Amino acid sequence: MEQVIVNGAISGMNYALMALGLTLIFAIMGVLNFAHGQMYVLGGFVMYFVYTVLGLGHVAGFAASIVTLVIVGLIFERFFFRHALRMAAREESTMLLAAGTALLLESLILVAFGEKQRGMPPMVSGVYKLFGVYIPAGRAAVFLIALVAVVAFILFMQHTKPGRALRAIAQDKEVSALQGVNIERYSALGFALGAGLAGIAGALLVSLLAVNSGLGTSVSIKAFIMVMLGGAGVVSGAIIGAFILGFAEALGYAYIPGSTTYLLIFAALILFLVIRPQGIIGKPWG
Amino acid sequence: MALIEVRELTKRFGGLVAVDHVSFDVEPGTIFTIIGPNGAGKSTLFKLITGFLRPSSGKVTFEGQEVTGLAAHAIARRGIVRTFQETTIFKEMTVLENVVVAHHLRGQASAFGFFIHSPQARRDEAGFRASAERIVDQLGLGTVKREVARNLPHGYLRGLGIALAMAANPKALLLDEPFSGMNNEETDRTVEMVRGIRARGTTVLLVEHDMRAVMRISDRILVLNFGKKIAEGEPKAIQEDEAVIEAYLGREDEELGI
Amino acid sequence: MSRGLLRPLAGAGLALLALVYLVLLPVYFSHSPYILRVVSIASVLSVISLGVWLTFAIGRINIGQAAFALIGGYATAILSTRFGLSYWLCLPLSGILAALVGTVLGFGILRLRGVYFAMITLSLTEAVRLAFLNGGEFTGGASGIPIIPLPGELSLFGVVLMPSFQTVNTHLAFYYLAAALLIVTLAVVWRIGTSRLGWIFRSLQQNEDLATSIGIDIARYRVMAYAICCFFGGIGGSYFAVSQQSIYPNVFGVPDSIFFILYCFLGGLAYVAGPVVGTFILFIGFQILHPLQEYQQLIYAVLMIAIMLWLPNGLLSLRWHTRADRAELARLEGREARS
Repeated sequence: MEQVIVNGAISGMNYALMALGLTLIFAIMGVLNFAHGQMYVLGGFVMYFVYTVLGLGHVAGFAASIVTLVIVGLIFERFFFRHALRMAAREESTMLLAAGTALLLESLILVAFGEKQRGMPPMVSGVYKLFGVYIPAGRAAVFLIALVAVVAFILFMQHTKPGRALRAIAQDKEVSALQGVNIERYSALGFALGAGLAGIAGALLVSLLAVNSGLGTSVSIKAFIMVMLGGAGVVSGAIIGAFILGFAEALGYAYIPGSTTYLLIFAALILFLVIRPQGIIGKPWG
Repeated sequence: MALIEVRELTKRFGGLVAVDHVSFDVEPGTIFTIIGPNGAGKSTLFKLITGFLRPSSGKVTFEGQEVTGLAAHAIARRGIVRTFQETTIFKEMTVLENVVVAHHLRGQASAFGFFIHSPQARRDEAGFRASAERIVDQLGLGTVKREVARNLPHGYLRGLGIALAMAANPKALLLDEPFSGMNNEETDRTVEMVRGIRARGTTVLLVEHDMRAVMRISDRILVLNFGKKIAEGEPKAIQEDEAVIEAYLGREDEELGI
Repeated sequence: MSRGLLRPLAGAGLALLALVYLVLLPVYFSHSPYILRVVSIASVLSVISLGVWLTFAIGRINIGQAAFALIGGYATAILSTRFGLSYWLCLPLSGILAALVGTVLGFGILRLRGVYFAMITLSLTEAVRLAFLNGGEFTGGASGIPIIPLPGELSLFGVVLMPSFQTVNTHLAFYYLAAALLIVTLAVVWRIGTSRLGWIFRSLQQNEDLATSIGIDIARYRVMAYAICCFFGGIGGSYFAVSQQSIYPNVFGVPDSIFFILYCFLGGLAYVAGPVVGTFILFIGFQILHPLQEYQQLIYAVLMIAIMLWLPNGLLSLRWHTRADRAELARLEGREARS
């Protein structure tokens, strides 16, 4: 049981990175980033490429992943979403556009990195034993780095000027615009930041699990679950959702065979959303 | 017998009492207005009567039959029809077409209505069209009846909203702040419109903020404050009621209009 | 005016299209199974997309249609392989079963709107796929249910209405089955659209509160629209099961749900024919790109994005838009000149 808790915590922390990125993009732009899973995959592939193929070490790998995803995020925001958000008569258009970007990113990854599944050795080798539970050093490292990233993100949002601007926009876009906040510039920042977080998450996890070009959709779905559960557009909701999913997963995989775990997770999610569509912490809408 | 009887109607939201044991009667063929400062509970009371909210306790009777807790669409079918701020159903259709369609929706909603080209349906259609023309003229929308709803100026939009409600053939028409945001000319026109509706036999229940209009057309006024009824009576009596004046004291003068 | 010409022109165009679709194409390609199959599949995908179009008509973004196609497919598979039912019974039963599931779910989820409804339906797609994956013996797990028999003979009072698919040119038979399904679905959905039911649905899309206030039971009609949508999803899935003669959990998934919406979008949500146009163009387009291998998906993605950026109201809106626009502009200018 303790093993399950530890696994859940580690997954949860990493999922938190993903959920935060997705919820930030949703909060700032009102767009559900369908391509989030593909961004994660891209982060993993870039890390793999820099570390294994170029042999430049982990730090360079992280840097490269972040930079790549930030660029992708900026391009998506500037050339796709900015135009669509201004022009779209219906919200389905932007949603489908997001789905299109997901397909685009996945195709590009396929062309660039090929079909093969790629993996990496864990960042740190060895195993620790803590309170009777086995914690591989690699997983501990992932947990710690993810924790640092999450804390850094929260501090950024709370205490820096751009962070506060982002939060203002998330609260009320019109009022922020009236107060002189440059919505377009911060949308770009928000999207880039969200993408970057997905990239870090991918770069981290490629050292634990393998990554392949087809993984994007299922990762996106996980991110959606977390954000729906915790409440779209709310930072604390994203983190809570991430940990609930992490623990539910760990619990399920330990005691229930195969993919039944996610079947139960989905059934529970649908039931939950029917009763409380705004998620645990979300603002009641409508 | 009163058309609408409200007894001890109460609505609680958690710890907040939005409507507090309110009782009144609405006589048929009259214009009954509910007024009160912002947050007094007027809209909540409205929603309770029309079924858009469930009361915590109390009773609403319509034509002698209890309608408390019925679904909103069922109450509408009994004959209590309300209007909204955001009015049109079909922005892309003309005013006349909107009202015709409202007849369709009302008339057919209880049956399956699949085959529109039956002779009965064609007769219905002609009848609806005649009724729509009549309603549109009565409400002073005759000049704009071929305008696409999307292009209507604000004042006419309200009229269209009322026309749509009239297409549902209500016994009681409930108007939600019909005078808000109107200039003097539009207010005059709407006053005439509402008087005309009463003249043709429909009872009108209004929730409103604009005192000038309220004083001009109401047969009876009920004043709400903090969810409680603080006065009820004819316009003259209300104007001189001390409790009412006190409730409105401290507000901006423009709001009073007395 | 030009409108007087439009009707007969459109009628002639439609007749020509019917001629090509029902006679020329199948006869000319009667021995090219690939072409027959592509058009058949496009036809049935259109049926499924028309269902999604209905949910758009009540103002919901439905990313769950793949789930009901899967339900329909499995229903057919199980009813024919385990219970030996004739396909001609399985087909409507699959649709009805899908509609029933949709009705039950609909009462719960249709209260939601916008992104929330979209996300719940997306979860539904995955949940149903996983349900069939984990259905054990009953659903055959990951490999699904194979060896679904071809449709047999359908006869009524000794009169053969439909020959057994084994005894005729099977691809041609499936082609006509698909065409029949599409034509019937189009007719039904078009009829709904122009009937009073259609007006009720549209009023739901425009303003649910207003519809309620004039006496429409919006909960009931929402579920009705959704159930009809699921019915067509089930029918489509049933066709796929019998034409591929197998069904497994990955036949319809999240990407398919998204594609159904895309097909509706490309054609144009304001027109009943929209989903059909969109499906045919995109699906056949995708097939044409096939020789491009890994670039196929890439080009498709670029196409999808281009459509969303520049044609948000769909293809069909392009033509009519300009004509109606010119008339509108003339009216507005006329009015301004007078005032």
